[in-house]
Amino acid sequence: MNQIKKIVQSKQMVTFAWIIGLVAVWEIIASYVEKTKRTPDNVLPHLYQIVESVFSPDLVNGSQTAIQIVLSNAGITLFRAAIGFVIGTAIGFLLALLMNMFTAAEKIAFPYLMIIQMIPILGMAPIVLAITKDIDTSRIVIAAILTFYPVATNTLAGFKSVEKEKHELMYSLAARKRDIYKKLLIPSCMPYFFTGLKISAPMAITASILVDTLQGGGGLGCMLSQSLKHAMTIYVFWQIVFVGAIIGILSYALMTLLERLVSPNKKAKR
Amino acid sequence: MVGMKNTNDMDNSYLNNDMSATGEIGSEITIENLSIQFPDKDGGAPVVALQNVNLEIKPGEFITLVGPSGCGKTTLLRTIADLQQPTTGSVNIRGKSPREIRKEKKFGIVFQNPVLYDWRTVRRNVCMPMELMGIPKKERTARVTKMLELVGLYDFGTKYPHELSGGMQQRVGIARALAIRPEILLMDEPFSALDEFTKEKLHVDLLRIWSKTKKTIIFVTHNISEAVLLSDRVVVLSPHPGRVSAIVDIDLERPRGLEIKDTDKFNALVSKVRNSFEGV
Repeated sequence: MNQIKKIVQSKQMVTFAWIIGLVAVWEIIASYVEKTKRTPDNVLPHLYQIVESVFSPDLVNGSQTAIQIVLSNAGITLFRAAIGFVIGTAIGFLLALLMNMFTAAEKIAFPYLMIIQMIPILGMAPIVLAITKDIDTSRIVIAAILTFYPVATNTLAGFKSVEKEKHELMYSLAARKRDIYKKLLIPSCMPYFFTGLKISAPMAITASILVDTLQGGGGLGCMLSQSLKHAMTIYVFWQIVFVGAIIGILSYALMTLLERLVSPNKKAKR
Repeated sequence: MVGMKNTNDMDNSYLNNDMSATGEIGSEITIENLSIQFPDKDGGAPVVALQNVNLEIKPGEFITLVGPSGCGKTTLLRTIADLQQPTTGSVNIRGKSPREIRKEKKFGIVFQNPVLYDWRTVRRNVCMPMELMGIPKKERTARVTKMLELVGLYDFGTKYPHELSGGMQQRVGIARALAIRPEILLMDEPFSALDEFTKEKLHVDLLRIWSKTKKTIIFVTHNISEAVLLSDRVVVLSPHPGRVSAIVDIDLERPRGLEIKDTDKFNALVSKVRNSFEGV
């Protein structure tokens, strides 16, 4: 009995139940859409239709099948998102360091950082594109802008969360500021830093896809809008929806993996 | 002050004052007229944490500061450690200020919580202060091994703190404090969060470690029996305002074991300490 209870309550089972539930809801709605709409493919196709389209050998744009288009464009988008993410992470971390070192920096910077975060990405993207005049650079910049804020705030919270006694231990050893950061503050803030990364990694990808839609020149977002305008089969759109979701989840998983590599004691905890 | 020998009067005087207060050999730490006040948060009268404390501590002495909460025992320890500044009066450690001694890294501090770095293994936790001091790696490794053997945790070197029991964690803290070869070991209620059995085991360990290392130990506790068991002298502090109300010599023979707790002499000393509190 207990064994069964354990299995039912295990994490994998919960995930499995969610997947089953989502598939069921999707299919119920898809069946309804199929009966009532004129072009059910555009509203909500069955899942098997999407899977079928992935393996379909038909050329969509003269030289590539649907999945080939999606994957090659995903590469473009992902690469830009990754560069932006890395730059944003570096800026975010440095900002957190500065804000922790100088109270004045925190007082001056913090409210304005929040304002940057409040500007809708849809509004900011055309401006950035107008300034940089290059879609690739825009993708990087937007991804970086979205990344730095969660990283900066979480890392700063990590610095501030270090217990007084740990600071006093360093003080009693007359540790230099550099050593306090190296041996105490930076290792302590790692869980917080990675929380920031886990929030911003999928965001950077979303942002990058969004910027793609503004202009041609490849990328998932670009294909997404072409597909929606029926320049190519609608299944490119549906594949992008799923590939996008998978990339987002994988980016999160990658951050979790990185965290475990960086902090080996985490392994034992879980 | 020179020549005022063993004036055992109760009005906060210079006990065991064999040497002058200028910090010559013979007196490790001299505390003179030390008063500490904390400003009241609501702008009222400042809180007097310590009032006119005078104390001399000899090299290699195990001295315990005992008293109820609010008596300023931790404040006194923190002042010696340069974690708290005196309002008036002074603390003198071999002719130097606590700050100078701290900068020379001569203090080993054991806190009430183990204060371990959870991302470091036991070995690397013990190692950390030595890294700050720039001790070469080979020497560090040797000392870590020695210290872990001393506290009986040699087999746990590669574990992380959260894999250890509370008592073991506290022992790591002691090993870390001792690894830098401090001249003065300051312990702030290090065993108060532990259960009675673990506490007794650590008492035995600490007595053994002290007899081996011969450090000056200043130990803060609110447990009278613990104070009597461990120390050469018990400094009794009373609250409101925090002050020294008595200093009790513990003339039990060493080495001591837990069995000493069953002797009449031990119990008499416990009673003596207990009866020394004022205004509790």
